[in-house]
Amino acid sequence: MPTPWHKTAALATLSVLAVGALAACGDKDSDTTASGSGATKGGASQVNVTLASGGSGDECTADTTSVPAGPVTFAVTNQSATGITEFELLQGQRIVGEKENLAPGLPTVRFTVTLGGGDYELYCPNAATEKTAFKVTGEASASPTGTAAQVLAQGTKDYTDYVNLQVDNMVTAVQALQKAVDSGDVAAAQKAYAEARPFYEKIESDVDGFVVPGGDPTDNHDNLDYLIDMRGSNLDPAVGWHGFHAVERDVFGAKRITASTKKLAAELTSNVRRLATIAKGLTFKPEDLANGAAGLLEEVQANKISGEEEAFSHIDLVDFANNVEGAQQAFEALRAGLTEIDPQLTATISKRFDAVTTMLDHYKDPNALGGYKTYTPALKRADANKLSQTVQALQDPLGRLAEKVATA
Amino acid sequence: MTDEPQTNGLSRRRLFAGAGVAGVVLGAAGGFAGGRASASPATGVDPSDTVDLARSHEFYTGTHQAGIETEPQRHCVYMTFDLTTTSVQDLQVLLARWSAGIAQMMAGRPVGTVDPDRGTAVPQDTGEAYELGPSSLTVTVGLGPGVFDERFGLSAKRPRHLAALPALPSDALDPKLTGGDLSLQACADDPQVAYHAIRDLARMGRGTVNTRWTVMGFGRASAGKGQSTPRNLMGFKDGTRNVKEPADFDRFVWVDDAAEPAWMRGGTYQVARKIRMDIEIWDASDRATQQNIFGRTKAEGAPVSGGTEFTTPDFAKAVGGKPAIDPRSHIALAAHENNNGIKILRRPYNYTDGINELGQLDAGLLFISYQNDPAHFVTLQRRLGSSDLLNEYISHIGSGLFAVPPAPKAGHYLAEGLFT
Repeated sequence: MPTPWHKTAALATLSVLAVGALAACGDKDSDTTASGSGATKGGASQVNVTLASGGSGDECTADTTSVPAGPVTFAVTNQSATGITEFELLQGQRIVGEKENLAPGLPTVRFTVTLGGGDYELYCPNAATEKTAFKVTGEASASPTGTAAQVLAQGTKDYTDYVNLQVDNMVTAVQALQKAVDSGDVAAAQKAYAEARPFYEKIESDVDGFVVPGGDPTDNHDNLDYLIDMRGSNLDPAVGWHGFHAVERDVFGAKRITASTKKLAAELTSNVRRLATIAKGLTFKPEDLANGAAGLLEEVQANKISGEEEAFSHIDLVDFANNVEGAQQAFEALRAGLTEIDPQLTATISKRFDAVTTMLDHYKDPNALGGYKTYTPALKRADANKLSQTVQALQDPLGRLAEKVATA
Repeated sequence: MTDEPQTNGLSRRRLFAGAGVAGVVLGAAGGFAGGRASASPATGVDPSDTVDLARSHEFYTGTHQAGIETEPQRHCVYMTFDLTTTSVQDLQVLLARWSAGIAQMMAGRPVGTVDPDRGTAVPQDTGEAYELGPSSLTVTVGLGPGVFDERFGLSAKRPRHLAALPALPSDALDPKLTGGDLSLQACADDPQVAYHAIRDLARMGRGTVNTRWTVMGFGRASAGKGQSTPRNLMGFKDGTRNVKEPADFDRFVWVDDAAEPAWMRGGTYQVARKIRMDIEIWDASDRATQQNIFGRTKAEGAPVSGGTEFTTPDFAKAVGGKPAIDPRSHIALAAHENNNGIKILRRPYNYTDGINELGQLDAGLLFISYQNDPAHFVTLQRRLGSSDLLNEYISHIGSGLFAVPPAPKAGHYLAEGLFT
């Protein structure tokens, strides 16, 4: 959730300057439908991934686990695996490509990435076997060389790709939410809401604080973060309640879809589209990633562990997990450069991220909205202390990151 | 005290009469000034009992840790921690970092910079004790039974008497206020200095330890050598017969047992109990009842068998066929004469947690004792918990037992012998 509106307004004046030239997102194809032409590029290797329920639970299988270096298209089909909703291609802890919201029976989804030789993993959370080794033969991509500053700069480019991917997914997911709301089906709208939240949460610290191009940074009518993610507790009476949490109030709180809900959902789509236009043009400095990662963990501490973010849906742990993923991706993008600057701090942060993600694994629940247990008052009473202290142990070393990379 | 003229730096001295300030604090918290005492307000004011905020204690003594024999300071923050690591090396690094940090803070210095050169840097020291002076800070570290469980491979070095305290009569322990793998007792004459020490040590420990329970003590409730006897929140003098002489420390407090592991010799055992007082109910009881319960007079603190504060209680004396000191009174049950000569060093502080859910004042005693065998505390508390007249007004709600290693020499760290 954004900072209270009067603070956000002050921040927004700075962020307008961050909008640069539109960055190309050339090596990724975000096509999400099977019928889309151009799902394969000339010469791209094909990997077909199938999700199906089998004898030992939901299974995630690929028709090949070794391809030559170069462009690779992954086609993911969920035949019958209700527990698996996500597919990722990992190199170490870094997400190279991913598809989310994979439901059985939906059309095949594809993405294409250009891979250098090396060891990767296919990752299907909640599958009987979650990780499968994946080998890319041939020339490794030129590993970043040069000064720490140059290596860090390369990392920020990788991170830009990650942000662009989330922005595209966010637009798609918010359109799906609008469609579900328009259908009047409350259960479908609840599900679509839980599926749309992760993308904003992953990159929240990069995209909050924007104003409508040409808008007044002191007026919340022009404040995109306000219009998209404001909670009920910090409203600006002059502007009223808009965005995700106003929709949440209707579909989870009142459990009723009215004309006003439909208007809110349509407005949300249009505001997320406006945000996407700005976000796709962002460029980052290494310290932006460090501060962004720290900001995402502050979000976890301030609003998720307290259960204030998702006051009606109680999917706070979904937001929590996605804030952490976003922070970890920013860290992973800096890792190569940071290792040259301070290997010990790098190792500490990495270990603390592992502690947080291992802890979060215990809350996974494929049957719950968003894939994580509902954050009930009872669960909060029992576990908030542990959640908070584990995140705090990560926040402290992460707070030292910005200084390290800014002075590289 | 903020009206005192101030200068910056360690040379600053702020001197004030201690008993007067303590009286203000107690009066504000409890509001129980007795008529007899207030008729002679000078009673008990000891002009030599002063606070010098420039005073510091040495950490690297190579003998006993500070904060035990040290004359009790005015304030104390106590906190216990759970180890979240299973790496013995993480524990070793934590004890080494805590040792260095404690030495710095006891000397009145920050732990790392308060004001880094670069704006992008996070200050290492949190800063709230900057330029406040050492304020007689001591930080005493204890190791709980968990340090010697299967996680760290240290079971062969477990102190002989370190095991969770047995269940004791009248225990009303809240699991959330009980136990811990490590304890920190930070006492100082300025509460902000004590709190800063705990805060920065907790911060250093993040990732290796989680916080478990804490009590913020104000107003010492025991006397060291040369100090006048203060009062607990029941308005009675506490610690008149406390261990004060070096010979008694050697006999009752410091571990000097060839059967103990070498690293523990010169150490001691710390018992911490959070004792809630039902002070509204106590405040409604009359003076005769209160005096009978303690076995002492209210203002003077003399045994009810007669004499003045330091007169030895006469447990045999009878008045009208009944004992002058009720055998179920607090001093009768706790006296070494009635417990095979056992003494423990008591170093308690008063505490308040504000107001409870019933609107009552939530306050009591942070009882901390040091002894070379926790069985001595157990012996006393078994008797007190079974029949103390005071039990009607108190509940033991928190508890912990910790082995307190001796202090390192310069260039070394606490409990180093565990890792070599």
